[in-house]
Amino acid sequence: MRGRPNLYTSYEAESQLFPTTTHKVALGLGLLVLVLMPFDLPVINQLPFVRFLGDSIWLRLVNKMLIFTIGALGLHLLSGLAGQLSLGHAFFGGVGASTAVLMGGKASANLWGWGLPMWVWLPAAGMVAALIGIAIAPTAVRVRGLYLGIVTLGLVFIGLHLSRMFPEIAGPGDLGRKWPRMELRLWKEEEPFLDFSRDGHWLWFDASKHQKTYFFLLVIVVLMAWWVANLGRTRTGRALAAIRDRDIAAEIMGVHEYRYKTTAFALSSFYAGVSGALFASFVGQVPPEQWSLRASVTFLAALLIGGMGRVSGVFMGSFFVIMSTRFVEEVVDWAKHQAEADGLFSGFFDFFISRGTGDGGLISVAETAMGYPLPASALDEIIYGVLIIVFLLFEPLGLSGIWMKVRNYWKGWPFSY
Amino acid sequence: MAITLEERPTSDVPTLTVTVASLARDWASREPSRIAMREKDFGIWQEISWVETWELVLDAAHGLLALGVQVGDRVSIQAEDRPEWVILDLATVAIRGITVGFYPTNPTAEVEYLLTDCGSTVHLAEDQEQVDRVMEIDRAGLGSLTRILYCEPRGVRQYDDERLLDWNDFLDLGRDHRAAHDGAVEALMEAAEGDDVMTLVYTSGTTGPPKGAMLTNVNTAYAIGKITAEDGLRGKRAPSADDLVVTYLPLCHVAERIFSTWHMVSCGLCLNFAESIETVTINLREVQPTLFFAVPRIWEKLHASVLIRGNDASPFKRLWLRFGLRLATVIGRDKAANGGSHTVRSRLLAAIGNPLVFRAMRERIGLRRCWHAGSGAAPIAPEVLEFFMGIGVPVYELYGMTENAAVATSNFPGRMILGTVGEPYPDIGFRLDPETSEIQTKHPGVFAGYWNKPEQTAETFTDDGWLMTGDVGEWVDESHVRIIDRIKHIIITAGGKNISPSEIENSLKASPYVKEAMVIGDRRRFLSALVGIELDTVGDWALRKGITYTTYRDLGEKPEVLELIQGVIDGTNEKFARVESVRAFRMIPKELDHEDGELTATQKIKRSAMEDAFGELIEGMYA
Repeated sequence: MRGRPNLYTSYEAESQLFPTTTHKVALGLGLLVLVLMPFDLPVINQLPFVRFLGDSIWLRLVNKMLIFTIGALGLHLLSGLAGQLSLGHAFFGGVGASTAVLMGGKASANLWGWGLPMWVWLPAAGMVAALIGIAIAPTAVRVRGLYLGIVTLGLVFIGLHLSRMFPEIAGPGDLGRKWPRMELRLWKEEEPFLDFSRDGHWLWFDASKHQKTYFFLLVIVVLMAWWVANLGRTRTGRALAAIRDRDIAAEIMGVHEYRYKTTAFALSSFYAGVSGALFASFVGQVPPEQWSLRASVTFLAALLIGGMGRVSGVFMGSFFVIMSTRFVEEVVDWAKHQAEADGLFSGFFDFFISRGTGDGGLISVAETAMGYPLPASALDEIIYGVLIIVFLLFEPLGLSGIWMKVRNYWKGWPFSY
Repeated sequence: MAITLEERPTSDVPTLTVTVASLARDWASREPSRIAMREKDFGIWQEISWVETWELVLDAAHGLLALGVQVGDRVSIQAEDRPEWVILDLATVAIRGITVGFYPTNPTAEVEYLLTDCGSTVHLAEDQEQVDRVMEIDRAGLGSLTRILYCEPRGVRQYDDERLLDWNDFLDLGRDHRAAHDGAVEALMEAAEGDDVMTLVYTSGTTGPPKGAMLTNVNTAYAIGKITAEDGLRGKRAPSADDLVVTYLPLCHVAERIFSTWHMVSCGLCLNFAESIETVTINLREVQPTLFFAVPRIWEKLHASVLIRGNDASPFKRLWLRFGLRLATVIGRDKAANGGSHTVRSRLLAAIGNPLVFRAMRERIGLRRCWHAGSGAAPIAPEVLEFFMGIGVPVYELYGMTENAAVATSNFPGRMILGTVGEPYPDIGFRLDPETSEIQTKHPGVFAGYWNKPEQTAETFTDDGWLMTGDVGEWVDESHVRIIDRIKHIIITAGGKNISPSEIENSLKASPYVKEAMVIGDRRRFLSALVGIELDTVGDWALRKGITYTTYRDLGEKPEVLELIQGVIDGTNEKFARVESVRAFRMIPKELDHEDGELTATQKIKRSAMEDAFGELIEGMYA
C-alpha cells in the first residue's frame, strides 16, 4: 500500500520486482544513465565509473560484458535458481555459435552456411541449444552435485570433439571461420536495413559501431534479465528454488523434479546459446577452443563473485569478471607512470613494479616477461582466483551479498534487527 | 472543582436511535468501496470493503433470525479478534440482540459460568479449542444455548453434535432467510430503541465472579460522541475515515471495542486485525496505524524492546542510540512539563533527533504515523510515557471503566499532566466523594446495570444516582485527576497507616525486569512484596552476565537476580515515605496465568487467589 511498503494487500503487490516509488524512480534513472552513457553528455560524463565506460575502448568491453551477462543469466537459472552445478555451460554457448554460423554464415567449398538473417539465426541458436539441453537432461537429472559437475564437464570435451569432426561448421583447424555480423535484414538481400557492426548514421546522429552494438545488446540484456527476474516469482521459479533448497523435500511437496530440472536445463541452455551466438558474431571469428572448460569456469566465477541466486549478482559478477582484467592493466599502467615520475610515492610504486628481471618488483611491465615477476595479465588471474576463495570463505553471497548487508544495516536503523 | 450535574444531560442524544449497526449501514451506503477491515491471511492483508462488510452483517443477522434469535436474546462470542467478531457483533445489534464477548483465554469453568449467567442462545466459538470448552460443559446447564458457531472447521468437522454450525453454513442459512424474508433485519433496526441493551461487557472480576455490565444504545452513542467527535478525546482533530487502527486487544473488553468497532462505525476508519498477540509488533510495523491504544503492559513491552534491541545493536548504532535516548529523555521531560506540547528547546532537539534516530525508531515499532495514542486500563509509569513523548509518539493517559462506557477523564492534547489520568470530559457529571474521595460519574454513558444482579447494581449507585467507580482519586492543579488506588486495595498497616499498594507496585513494575508485583501489608508490621520477573529481559540480562539458567523459577532464584530485584526495590523505596518502604520480598516461583486463576483475563492480579497460592511465601517474610 502507498506509504506503507510492508502492508501487502495482494500477492502481486508482495512479489513486485520494484515495489516502491523509490525503486521505480531508481530503475528509471539507472536505465536513463545506461542509455545516455555512450554519449559524451554533460552530467553523465561526470558520474563516477560511468564517466569512462562510455569511451569507445571501454564500450567495447562493456559490450563483451553484456554478451557475457546473457550467458551468466542462463547459468544463474540453472545453478543459482535451481541449484544444479554445471561445468558445461560453455558447451551450449558453442552450440549456439555453431547454429548461428551454420544458419547465418556464408557457404564456400568446404564450409556450410545458409546465409539466413539474424532474426532467424539468433533465436535458432537459443532454440537448438535448448533442445540439446533437453536431450541431455535425462542423464543430468539422474545425478547431483559433483557427479553432475563431471557429467556436464564431459559435454565440453564432446563439444570440442564434435567441432573437429565437423570442420564444415566450426571452421578449419584452430582458426575458426567468419561469423555472420550483427545486422538486421529482411531476408538474404545484400544491404541490411539496420547494421550494428559498422559505423554509420542513425536518425539524427552519427553512431560508432560500438555504440550501435551497445544499444542492440542493451535492449536484449534488459529484456532477458527482466524475464529471468520475473521467472523467479512464478510457479516455475518457486519450484526451482524448492529443488535447490532440498530436492527430496521439493518432490514430497509435489514439485515434479524431473520436469522442472529439464526446464531449467532448457532455459539455461537457451541463454547460453544466444550468448554464444552473439559473442561469436561480436568477435567475428572464434576458434572452437573458445568454448572450453575455462569459459565454463568463468561463468561460474561470475556467479560466485556476484552472488548466487540473485539477478543483481549476475550483473555485478559479470561486470567484475570482464572488467577486472582491464582495470588491473590500467592500475598497473598508472603505477608504472607513478614509479617513473618523481612524485612523492614513486619509490613506493617502484617497489611493486619490475621493468626487467632482478629488480625485485612484483609486477612485470616488460614486454616479454617469463616466470617471476609476473606480467599484469597473469596477475589478473591470480586476483581472480584469490577472490573466488575469499568470497567462498567470507562472503558466500558475493558482491550482491555485500550490497545486501549494507542495505540491511540501514534498513534496521537504529537497531540491528 | 467537581462538576455537579443533577440531571442526566440528554440533549445531545439523537432522537432517532443510532446503533453501531445503523452507523455501519450508513458507511456502507456512503462509501461502499472504502476498506473497512483487513485481516492477514497467508501473509497477505485481505481487504473487506464497507459494502462487503455490510452484506456479511446482513447475512449474519438473517442467519441469527433463522436460528430463532429474538429481540433481547444474548449472542456470545469467544474468539480472538477477527472480522467475524465484528460482523456477528454488528449483526446481533442489528436484530436488537445483545452481544456478549468472552476472553479467548477464559478457561472452561469461567466459560460455563458466563454462558449460564448470560443465558446465551447462540455462541460463536472460534476454533476447536474454544468449541471443546463448550462441549465439556454439561448440556443440561446450558438450556438456552441452541447453536455453537465455529470459524475454524479444522478438528471440529467430525464432532457429532447437532448444535455445531460452520460459519459459512451459517451465512448460507442467513442468505436463504434473507431471500425469503427480505427487509426483516431493516425493520428490526428501525424498531431499535435507545434503551435496548446492545452488549454485556463482563468485568474482569478481581474480587468476585465477573458481572455483566449492560450497555445500551444510548450509552454507546454517547461514548462515541465523546470519544470520536471533534473537541472530544483528541482535541481539535477528530479521527477520519483515512485513519488506520490495529485491532489486537480482546474485543470483549470495552476499551478495544471503543477503539476498534465503535471508532470504525463512527469514523469509517479501517480495522487491521493483528494475527495474534505475539505478532503485534510485526503487524504494527506493517500497518503503521495512525491511532493506537494500548494497555501499560504493551507500552512497557515496546519500551523494553527498544532498550533490548538497542543493546543488541552493533557498536556504532549503540553509541548513536544512546545519544538518541538521551535526547528523547530531555525532549520527553520538556514536553511533559509543558502539557504535552513542544517547548522551543524540545522542538529544536526533536528537529535534530527526528532524522537521526526517532523517525526510524518509530517506524521500527510501527508508530511512525501515529498521531494520537492512548494508554489506559491500568496506571503507567511516567518514565515510559516520557520516553514515547520524547521520540514523538503522542501518548495520553486516560481513564474510564466499563460501567460508564469509558467516559470519565482523559489527558487532552496540550493540557496533559504526567501522572494523572487527565481532566473530566466537559459536560459530564464527575465528582470526588467528599468523604472517601471515591470518583463518581453521572452521564448518559453510565450503564443500565449488571445483568441479572439488581442488588449489585444498586450497590454501585449512590442514593442520588451517581455511579461509584470504586477508584480513589485526588485533584491535581484543580483540574486534573490522579488515581490513587481501588478502594478495596488500600492497605491499613498494623501501625494504622493508609497505604496505596498500586503506586508502589507500579513503581516496581516500571523496571523492565519486573513483570508482576504485589505489595502486601494489610494489618501487618511492615510492607512486603511478591515479585515476578520479566523472563525476556531478565533472561537477556543473565545472558550478558554469563549466568546460565534452566527454568523461570531457576532464573528467579539466582543470587544475582535477587540482587538485581533488590536494587529495583531499593530504588522504589527511595521514592516513598519510610512507612511505605518494602522491607522484604520473595520471588514468585511461576509465571502467573489466567488459566491457573492467579490473573484475570485482563492480566490483573487476583489478590485473594495469590494469597492462597503463595501463603507460605508471604508468611515466610513475616516469620
